[in-house]
Amino acid sequence: MQSTSPTQPLVCHDCDALLAAPQLQDGEKAICPRCVGVIVSRGRNSLQRTAAFAMASAVLFAVANSFPFLTMRAGFRESQMLLWESATGLGAGGYPALAAAVAIFIIAAPALLIGGLLYIVMPLLWGRRLPGTVALCRWVFRARRWDMTEVFLLSVLVSLMKLGSLAELTLGTSFWALVALIVCLTAAVASLHPRDLWARIEEARP
Amino acid sequence: MKQLPTESAADWGVALCHVCGLASPLRAGHCSRCDSRLHLRNRDSLQRTWAFTIASLLLYFPANMLPILRVESFYGTQSSTILTGVIQFWDEGDYPVAIIIFVASVVIPILKIIAIVWLCFAATKGWQPRQMTRLYRVTEFVGRWSMVDVFVVAILVGVVQLGSTISIHPGAGAVSFAAVVVLTMLAAMSFDPRLIWDAAAARAQQGGHQH
Repeated sequence: MQSTSPTQPLVCHDCDALLAAPQLQDGEKAICPRCVGVIVSRGRNSLQRTAAFAMASAVLFAVANSFPFLTMRAGFRESQMLLWESATGLGAGGYPALAAAVAIFIIAAPALLIGGLLYIVMPLLWGRRLPGTVALCRWVFRARRWDMTEVFLLSVLVSLMKLGSLAELTLGTSFWALVALIVCLTAAVASLHPRDLWARIEEARP
Repeated sequence: MKQLPTESAADWGVALCHVCGLASPLRAGHCSRCDSRLHLRNRDSLQRTWAFTIASLLLYFPANMLPILRVESFYGTQSSTILTGVIQFWDEGDYPVAIIIFVASVVIPILKIIAIVWLCFAATKGWQPRQMTRLYRVTEFVGRWSMVDVFVVAILVGVVQLGSTISIHPGAGAVSFAAVVVLTMLAAMSFDPRLIWDAAAARAQQGGHQH
């Protein structure tokens, strides 16, 4: 049975179709004939783009976590909220598990994603592979699913509507950094094509 | 019975590495590129999916009935659930916001639970594999947006700190709601769409024998 199977098989991750690997040009993708999903894709300068966007994301992440996110003015009082205080407030309110979940979705997951991408991709640009690259890949793809910064952004807009009648709210530097972070991080992940990445990891020297 | 156009890799003993996407012979045990253990399908896929889905369905009730937020001001204390929050926005004329929250917090979670149950049946019976695979992809994508209301609670609690004229406290509904979203995400991640194709292939083969 083994002898008749294609020499370089390609398998669809959603429907398990066994296909012959097509020759892809840069920027092309292969669509599964059976379930119509994208099986593999090839990027243009995939690693360079991911590295550039991940570096931008790292700077924006630092800004988003150092400056005030929202300022509320009600009467004479003014209170400022940092990004991570949206999580710690829940802890102080008696829900530490919820606080931890929010901290994972808006801080830990994006941090792991950005840090992981830089650790994996930067050395690959010079054909080198740092220890733990393979294990980290697994965590980076997992972190991507739990990064919910874009959902958080929608929540900010809803909160502005909700509090708008009670107090005067101003969006801080951190908010705008988060908007830019979402764009850059989405671009970093979108430029990363798993097949290109693994091919480069295989070629790289440890 | 319509003939399936291609063969499954599993029929050839070829397993796709779930980490790096390399196709390897299953008998190798481990992926030759990244050394992850090889499995033909997600392990205990349907059992895990059912478990997460049932748990999320049970929590869906407290998530909607318990208050997610308690506002204390000199007008008194006011608790709001997800639905009363939607109604409040609607009454104030903020129709777009009311619709966004209603869709994200009420419609998406219940549709997602129904979709996953449907997918589990499809994986057992082999119903319309192509459409069901599309349903699976949509289900995986939309689930996270239900977290909107939980983050709203987090932001309101965070920005309205102690010492102001009003104080805002999180409620048990918010925890249940976050749990519903996380559990439905885990259910979708445990589900293996390839099982639908396996069942469809088995059904096609059975049909072929009868004719």
